Parts: sequence; C-alpha cells; structure tokens
Amino acid sequence: MYLQIAWRNIWRNSRRTTVIMIAIIIGVWNMVFLGALMRGIVVAMVNNGISTLTGDIQVHQKGFRDDPVIENSIKNPELVENMLNNTLPSDARWASRVRVSAIANNARHSSSVTLVGIDPLREADISFIGSAAIQGSYLKPDDKNGIIVGQALVDKFETKLGYKLILMSQDTSLEIASRAFRISGIFKADLEFTEKKFVFVNMPVLQQMLKLQNGISEVSIILPDHQDALHVKNTLNAELPSNLEVNTWRELLPMLNAYLKIYDGFILIWYLVVFIAMGFGIVNTTLMAVFERMREFGLLKALGMKPGRIIAGVLTETLILLLIGMATGNILAFLCVYALSGSGIDLSAFAAGAEFAGMSRVIFPVISVWDLSAANLVVLVLGLLVSAYPAIKAARFTPVEALRHT
Amino acid sequence: MAKNLIFGLFLSLILITAFSATAKAQDARSIIEASFNYMRGNASIATIQMTIHRPDWERSMTIKAWTKGQKESLFRIIAPPKDNGNGTLKKGREMWIYNPRINRVIKLPPSMMSQAWMGSDFSNNDLSKTDSIINNYTHTLIGSENINGKKVYLIKSIPEPEAPVVWGMQILKIREDNIILSQEFFDEDFKPVKKMTGFQIQMLGGKLFPKVWRMQKTDDRNKYTELVYNELVFKQKLKNSLFTTSNLRNPGR
Repeated sequence: MYLQIAWRNIWRNSRRTTVIMIAIIIGVWNMVFLGALMRGIVVAMVNNGISTLTGDIQVHQKGFRDDPVIENSIKNPELVENMLNNTLPSDARWASRVRVSAIANNARHSSSVTLVGIDPLREADISFIGSAAIQGSYLKPDDKNGIIVGQALVDKFETKLGYKLILMSQDTSLEIASRAFRISGIFKADLEFTEKKFVFVNMPVLQQMLKLQNGISEVSIILPDHQDALHVKNTLNAELPSNLEVNTWRELLPMLNAYLKIYDGFILIWYLVVFIAMGFGIVNTTLMAVFERMREFGLLKALGMKPGRIIAGVLTETLILLLIGMATGNILAFLCVYALSGSGIDLSAFAAGAEFAGMSRVIFPVISVWDLSAANLVVLVLGLLVSAYPAIKAARFTPVEALRHT
Repeated sequence: MAKNLIFGLFLSLILITAFSATAKAQDARSIIEASFNYMRGNASIATIQMTIHRPDWERSMTIKAWTKGQKESLFRIIAPPKDNGNGTLKKGREMWIYNPRINRVIKLPPSMMSQAWMGSDFSNNDLSKTDSIINNYTHTLIGSENINGKKVYLIKSIPEPEAPVVWGMQILKIREDNIILSQEFFDEDFKPVKKMTGFQIQMLGGKLFPKVWRMQKTDDRNKYTELVYNELVFKQKLKNSLFTTSNLRNPGR
C-alpha cells in the first residue's frame, strides 16, 4: 500500500523527481566510481611495493634493516632455507637475495644504485622482474658477467645492450670491490624510480665480488594470500634463531601502510562530502513536495491518520527515490569500471607527477566490497535520515494550519 | 720434398708473424711502463697550481704533492688560505681525505670514488687507479709520427674484457724520450670523452717534463682543469711515514 501510494506520489511532479534522481545517480556513480579509482591507486601501490623486492614477509639478520650493510648479512643461509622448506605452506614461494648499495659507472655517467644478486629462477616467481618486459634476455643462471638494468638507467647512462657497466661497492673486508658487467637485459617497471634504482646480477657472482662466501642479505617470501602475512610471521619467528628477524610488508613499508590508512579515511570523508551536497538536494525536494501537499496532509490528519503513518509515507517516497538512484548509479559506475578494466587510465603523460606520489603509470579501478557497501550505506542511511525532517514536518501539520494555507 | 719445404716456409712465416705481433704488444707495453716510470720517478715532491675553468667562473689553488712509486701519493692544498690544509692520501686503490674544518680523516667510500676531486675534471678514480692503464689494458702500437724532429708513438690501449674500467679505449701519445704528450679517454663506442694533454716541455727537477697539463672534456671546450708544475723535485726515496693518515692530519710531524 505504502509503496503504491508513494510511487504514484513521486511521479505527480515528474520533472522535479527526475532532476533529484539524476542528482542521486550522479552522486552514487561518483562515489562508487571514484572510490574504485582511488582504491585502484592504493592497490597498485601496495602490489608495486610488495613486488618491488619486498614480498609479503622478509627474513633479515637483526640490524640489517637499520643499517643495510654487508656486515649485517645472514651468514648461514642453509639453516634458514631448510627451515623455510619445512614450515612454509606448500604454495608459498621464496627466494634469497644479496643486496647492497653500489655505484654504477660508465665512461660518461655514474649513479648510485641498489645492486641485487638474485637466483634468477626463484626470483622470477616472486618479484616484478619475473613478469617485467625485458629487452634482451633475462639472467641465465650461469651468466658470470650479465647484468639486468632498467630502461630509465639505460637512457640516463646513454648506453645499450651488450655495453659495459662498472659496479663498485664495499666488500666484507671494507675494501672497495669493483667489477665489470655487460648489460644483458633491460627491464621496464611500473615506476621510473624502480628502473633507475635496481640492477640485477647472479647471486654467486655478487657473493664472490663482495667476498661474502655464501652469505645473503635477505629472504623474501610471497604467500598465496597477503592477509596471512602476520600469521605466518609468528610461526616463522617461533622457529628461527633469535639473531634473525621476520617482518611483514606492513612493517617493511611503513609509509605505504600509513598511506593505506589515510586512503581508507579519505574515501569515507569523500563519501560524506558528496553526500552533503546530495543531501541538501534531497531535503529541498522532499520539503517542496511536502509543502505542496499541505492540504492533503491536513485532510489525512482530519480523517484521523496517525502521524507515524504520514512519516512512513514520506520516507517511503524518499526510499524509492534513493533506491532507484542508487541502483542506476551503481550500474553506471560498474559499466565505467568495466570499460576501464581493459586498458586502465594511462597517466604516462603525467608520469613524473604520478611518480612523486608513488603511483603507477596506469590506474586500474578496483571495486572492493567494503567501499561499495560504505558508499551505498552512507547514501541510504543518511538519505533517510535527512528526509526525516520534511517527513516529521508533514506529520505535524494540523488540519487548521492546512485550512489556512491556500 | 718440395712439399715439405713449402710447409716449413709456411710454418716459419706464421711463427714470425705471431712472434712479431707479441713483440709489438710487448713493445707498446714497455713504452708505457718506461714512460710512467720516467714521469713518476722513484719519488717526487711538487708544487702545483691547479686551475679549474668553467664557462662562468674560474678558481685556482696551489697544491703540494708527494708521490712514491705507482701506489702512494699525498696531496695537500696550501693556497688559497680558505682551503689550506685540505688533503688527500692515496695508497693503492684506497683514498682518504682530510678536512681541517671538521678535523676528520675520511676514508673515501666507493660511492665517492667517481666524484670529482676538489671540483676538478679529475675524478677520485682517476687518481686512485693511475696504475690501471698498465695492468688492465692490452696495448698496441698503432703508429708513430715526427713532431719537431722527435719520434712520437701512438699507442692504443683496449681494456681487458673483465677489467673493471669504464673506458672503451685510451690512446696515448708518448715521445721517444718517454714523455707522455697526451692521454685520451674514449667510451665504448670509441667516441672521445676527455683528454689530458701536456704542454711546455722543459727541464724540471733535472729532467724534461711538461710544465702544464690540461684535462679537458671533449664535448665542452670551456670546461677544463689545468695543472701547472711550479716546482718539481725527483728523489730517490721518501719516508714511508709521509704516506700515513696521521701525516695527512698533522703535516710536518
């Protein structure tokens, strides 16, 4: 009954209803779609962070994170490796690395880089380098002189495939260690920063150059589900000797973790801001509709209609408006997200600016259940709440007031 | 019989060419070694005026330098007063710098090795790897020319494939009396990057020596560093205690 009456009521002034409905549709579309874009940026940042040599969990010698020098490396990796094989879930992947800061040099340029010694086969499974587009070839396990560098570094150094790059760093006896490598592959990464920062060589070659024997700097672990990190960390902590420490990506990338929290709050605030603009529209329209029908409400009151029923009636009208608006807005937003899911939004033109914020070059919108329900709940609950004001107003009309009103 | 004879001739021909090739390489190497020994002497003390020239500014300083063999050297700035006392000690591949204002001796980390030395066109690497040209390169004599009646050898030095040197090639011009006239550095495409040239060859410290050296970037004519040897004395020996970090910090003790 309510529904039928409300449905007829709202279409008594179809133009006004259409206008407010469009406002709701745009509002909801905006919340869901922009929310998905922002979520996309954050998810890309997290994935980027994790795949850029972080992993879900890392194992270090204690002290390495404060002072990442060669002296703080893990001296007995076999122990750690055996233990990982025994304790980790079978679908987790891991790889050891040696990482030192080094200076790359050629005849014209020099710059500081992070020199990473990897096990090429294992590393391909766990970090971005395995899936990155590589010009030339990926590291071969027995390649003694090959080095893989980023496109941006190659451009900066005015060099190309097959050319020499000299790397200098400090070895375990604090002497300067330098070695010549030949560029065997050029990788492309999401962030230019990554392309400039990391160069990859085979781990045994680097261990030999740094006189590290078989020491490693870190073990990086990728779990099938990012959410398990804390749980697995605790298991590992219990098993590993006390001179090692285990950290999840949330601890390893504190900036990113903080960003995540800020974005969560920011999205909610954004929803509220959009809603406030939309809410005034809803109140205004409903109020108009109520004042227009003053005589009607007076009549209903005179006939003995309970105020609660009038409130329910007005609220039902708003509910219909909101539901139709939300449904259409969501569908529109989903369509937009779907349209962008193939190619994403390409920010290459503003890459320098986007880099600054640590964003990828291409943004893919991501719809999360949390964002979606937050947006819709905000609209629904607050929408009903604000229209309670005109509804109560309508319920308070007395027959006398209605008579006097012309 | 005739076949054997031809074979024998052929063999000896190969042997001779092979031998003369190694002899030639040996030759080039010995020329370089001889000239480096000549230029360095056993030990030397020099006062050098260094001028750093840039398109919009120029500054110069006076440096006192002690060297001993290929491996050890000590530089100390004595003028202008602002920079007085700044020093650099080099032993083998390692370098230390001393700054009197902070009263600290700092061992140069690898990250600073490719930086410019005192803002000049010489990098710390240029100073620390001076013997690299002899040890890490294969030398070939590619020709000779006559300049003012003296024979000048042109030597092409290509780094060994695994050697940790940034250059693709170096070309040295060495006069028959062991004086290095120029040393040019090329990248891997054999394009010139920078060149060091010696001028005004005259008697210095008892032997002929270029008084002026200039290191110049090839692509920018307006950027160079010039060294002028105001005094140069060659010695048989210098005390070992000279080339220590404590002497770097406290001169004259």
